[in-house]
This record gives sequence, structure tokens and C-alpha cells, in this order.
Amino acid sequence: MVTLLATVLIHIARAALLVFGVTVLVFILVRAIPGDAVDVLAIEGGLTDSQAEAMRAGLGLTASWLDQFTAWCLSALRGELGESLRFHVPVADLLLQAIPVTLALGAASLATGFVLAVAIALIATLRPRSIVASLVDILNIWSIAIPTFCAGLVAILVFSLWLGWLPVLGNFLVPVIILGLDAAGQIVKPLHEEMKELGTAVYIRTARAKGLHPLKIVIGHILPAAAPVLLAMTGLVAASFIGGALTMEVLFGLPGVGSLAFNAVNGRDYPLIQAVVLFLAVAVILINALTDLAQRLVDPRPER
Amino acid sequence: MSTHDQEATRSGYPGPGRPTIEQGSGGRARRLPFSLLFGLAIVTLFVLAALFGPMLDGQDPFSQDLLNRNQGPSPAHWAGTDNFGRDVLSRLLYGARLTLIVGAGGVICALIVGAGLSLTALAIGPWLAAAVFGFIDFIRALPGVLLALILIVALGAGLSSVVIALGIAFSPFFAYIARAAWRREMAADYVTAARTLGASRLRILYRHAMPNIGGALITLAAVILPRCIVTESVLSFLGLGVSPDTPTWGRMIADAVPLVERAPHAVLVPVFCLSLLTLALALLGNHVRAAVDPLRAGDPSGRQRW
Repeated sequence: MVTLLATVLIHIARAALLVFGVTVLVFILVRAIPGDAVDVLAIEGGLTDSQAEAMRAGLGLTASWLDQFTAWCLSALRGELGESLRFHVPVADLLLQAIPVTLALGAASLATGFVLAVAIALIATLRPRSIVASLVDILNIWSIAIPTFCAGLVAILVFSLWLGWLPVLGNFLVPVIILGLDAAGQIVKPLHEEMKELGTAVYIRTARAKGLHPLKIVIGHILPAAAPVLLAMTGLVAASFIGGALTMEVLFGLPGVGSLAFNAVNGRDYPLIQAVVLFLAVAVILINALTDLAQRLVDPRPER
Repeated sequence: MSTHDQEATRSGYPGPGRPTIEQGSGGRARRLPFSLLFGLAIVTLFVLAALFGPMLDGQDPFSQDLLNRNQGPSPAHWAGTDNFGRDVLSRLLYGARLTLIVGAGGVICALIVGAGLSLTALAIGPWLAAAVFGFIDFIRALPGVLLALILIVALGAGLSSVVIALGIAFSPFFAYIARAAWRREMAADYVTAARTLGASRLRILYRHAMPNIGGALITLAAVILPRCIVTESVLSFLGLGVSPDTPTWGRMIADAVPLVERAPHAVLVPVFCLSLLTLALALLGNHVRAAVDPLRAGDPSGRQRW
């Protein structure tokens, strides 16, 4: 119990350190971007040099990087993420509007992929020579070979333009299916490998010898034993979705965090980039930490 | 750490000697598998097209023919023309060159940054290694596309900055694999022997352990290459590619999307080529992994997943 608590604490400490490090990294990187929001606004709005300088001073962009960083960190700790340089609304509001979209997209896709992967791996283990078993490899190759944005483009072309079934923008179902298939392809292969391997274990032979129904063996014995692999892959896919959702959101015009990040980087909107990256990094670190922890709980054997 | 490492084994190729539930379905190892031949054929085709295509084709990928905009495939333009009346096929061939150069460049850059840095740090001392891996953990915490996006905007658009951004974004994979391989090799008897003879850690690394670590790194490079190419096209698609008028495939797709209704071929042809290339590279990567992966082959239990 004590060691478990220690493990949890170490995880939290490591995660906090990572968040801080990523914040510093992004702060430096973002400041290294040539041009700032005032430059972008100046090109768009035709500001004179003196107007631009006054604007920079007003936005706090003339202070040293260290001062800017400490100011940002202090206000971030208070929960104030600053104001967007371009839209003049609090960054937190923009983020709060975008998060539910991304969360819904990610959760729905992950759930689709998870259910699909588990179902296919189960059937493929039960019936190794069936068509479903070959789906394991097909889905896996699909997820490696077909970039999600290519699949998205073709889906837009076929379903929206040629068949006229769906509106191009704001659609939710198509990206969920595409990301879900991608997730399923990544999860199903390692899961199936693990389940096949577990199928040769001695206790499975015992279960088979005593006449237990194959379905009960697969669901009751093999699947629980394969849980660590399933969890690890699901965690990895969840973390990778945070990047993958970006392209899908831009492509399908979903107003999520990915679209926000894309617009923020293009508009040199420092506070917005920092907030979005901080959010995404926290999300990735959280998912990774939770996955590690869940694995530790499901599989209490120490590593190695 | 272990969860990061597994991302590299996304395809989970069944290594040699892994027992399966049905032992009777063997026989695949005897003849050359179809997927290997298919992958080789497609990759060779694309490499040849990238090398010689622009010469044979004879069309200028940049010459505009505004009277023949968005034309479908025809004898004059085999893959049709785009929104500026430029020949899609010759742009595709020219883009194949860039796509392959950027993809390979990104992988090499990731190999040097990730594996080179981490191995050297590991050889010099545990403190340096801890610092380097601390930094790599930071990089790893950012989604790859987002990191590359910020890096490219910071470095300015251009071939070298895309390659560097891809290299940095993919370097953690190489670093983690290199560390796993390093730990495995350092436990081996020949390392103890070399150390007893007074060889320095750096010498042990580059003279003795490298041949054994190299296999794992080459395997990873083969697996990462298609992902590098896809990421490049995603970045180009987001408008952050090599440069606005250089036709990488991602760029061609991005440019053609607004007019997809009038000229669907200008989207579909590069999408098809990109998917075909990544498919072939992924299949080849799986075979490379099966052939030269000492981590799996050397582990009798077959359960190790770096």
C-alpha cells in the first residue's frame, strides 16, 4: 500500500516537472518564431511603425523574455491564461469553447476504436481462420498506410460531394469513423498477438482440457490477461489522438483545440499558443501517467 | 517509459519463433511473402520515378496553361491539370523526389539527434544521460505534429527546417530504443571483457556495441520512414511545408482541396500515391524488423516489447 502511494506520488511529481519543462520549452520556441502578433496585425490592418510599437508596449511584448515568462507563470498559476492578442478575449474562454469539441471527437473515436479492436481480436482468437481474423492485419495495415487526412479527404469527396449525403463542414461522424478505424488498427494487432500467445499458456490448456467453452476461455481467461497490452495501446493511441485530431479538425472545420492551435500558430498569438500547448501537454502527460498507473494496477508484477 | 517505447512497435510484427495458437498455418516463411515483393516493387517504382521521372516525362511541373485548367486525364496530360493548368503527373513526379528526400532526411536527422545524442550521453555518464533523457521526455510530451508545426514556424519555411522539425519530433523513438539496446548490450559478457581490457565507455559503444545496437535502430528507421513522410504531407497540407510553390504531395493535395468539386483528380492522384507509398514502406518496414531485429530474435521468451 505504501509503495503504491509512493508510486502515485512519484508519477505526480514527474508529471508536474514535465509540465513545467514543456512550458519553458514552448515559451522559448514561440518567442523564437520570427515576427509577432503585432506584425501579423500590422500587415492585415496597415499599422504605422509607431502604432505598432505602442501596441507592442501595451501588450507587454517589449519586456525581457524572463520577465514575460515569470509574469505568464504567475498568472497561469492563478488560473489566468491571459488575453488573446488577436481576438481580445480571455484565452481561457477560447480554450473552454474548444475543449468539449476535441474531447467529444477524441472520446467517441477512441471508444469506437477500442470496441472494434476488442471485438475483432476476440473473434480472431476464437476463429483463427475466419474472415474476421484477416481483418486484424487489414486494419493494422490500413492504420499504418492510410494517413487519416487522406482518408478524410476521400470521404469528403465521396460522401459529401458525389453522394451528397453529408455536409462537408461541421460533420462529426466521418472523422470519428476515420479516427476510430485508425485507433482500432493500432490496438488490434498487438492485442491479437498477445491473445494468441496467451492461448498457448498452460492454464489455458487446463481450461480447455476440462471442457470449458472456448468463448468462456477467451473472455474469462485470455482477455483479462491481455489487459496490460490493451491498456498500454489504448493509452498510446489516446495520446497520439491529441496530435491526430488537429488535422481532422482543420479538415472538417470542427472548432476544437486543434483548429485553435493551428490558427494561433499562424497568427503568432503568443498567449493562445502557450495556453493551447500547455493544455495539450498536460493532456498527453496525464494520459501517459494514467496509462502507466493503470497498467501497474492491472499487472502488479514488478517490471523485469 | 515503457509505454512510450511501445509506440514504435505499433504494427507488432510477430517475431520469429513466437508460438501461436494454431501451429498448422506455417509455410509462409518458405517462399518470399507477397507483401515483401509488393512493397519492394512499389518502393523501387517510386524511387525510380523520383530519380528519372522528371526527365522522361518532359513536361515542366511549373509551366501554367490557364486555358486548360482543372482538366481531367487526357493523352496530353495523363493525370490531368490543376487549378493553374499545370500538369499533375509531372508535378507528382517532381514531388516524389521532394517527398522521399524530406522523409529520408527526417529519419536520418531523428537517428542522429535521438540515437547519437542519447548513446553518447549514456556512454559518457549517467548524469548526462539523465539530463538528455529529461529533455527527451519534454519533447515527447508534445504531440509530434504540433511540435513540428511550432518548430517550422520558428525556423521559417524551407526544406532544411522541415527536415530538422521532423527529426526532432521523431527523435524520442530513437532515443528510447537506443537506451533499451544499450542497457541490454552493457549486460553482455563481451562488454565486461572489453572493460576489463581497459577500453573506454565511448570506445566500447562505437567499436563493440554499435553493430548490435545498429540493427534495432535500422529497424526503427524503416518503421518511422512512412510516418515521417505522412507527417511531412500533413504539415504541407496545413500550409507549413517546404515552400508554397514546391510541389510536395501534401502541398498538391492542399492546393487542390478548395477545387475538389471541379477537379477531383488533382486531389485523388496524390492521395492515392501517398497512401500507396506509405503502404509499401510500412510492409517493407515490417519485413526489415522481422529480418534484423536482434531484440526480439535474441530474446527466447519473445515477450520483450521495447
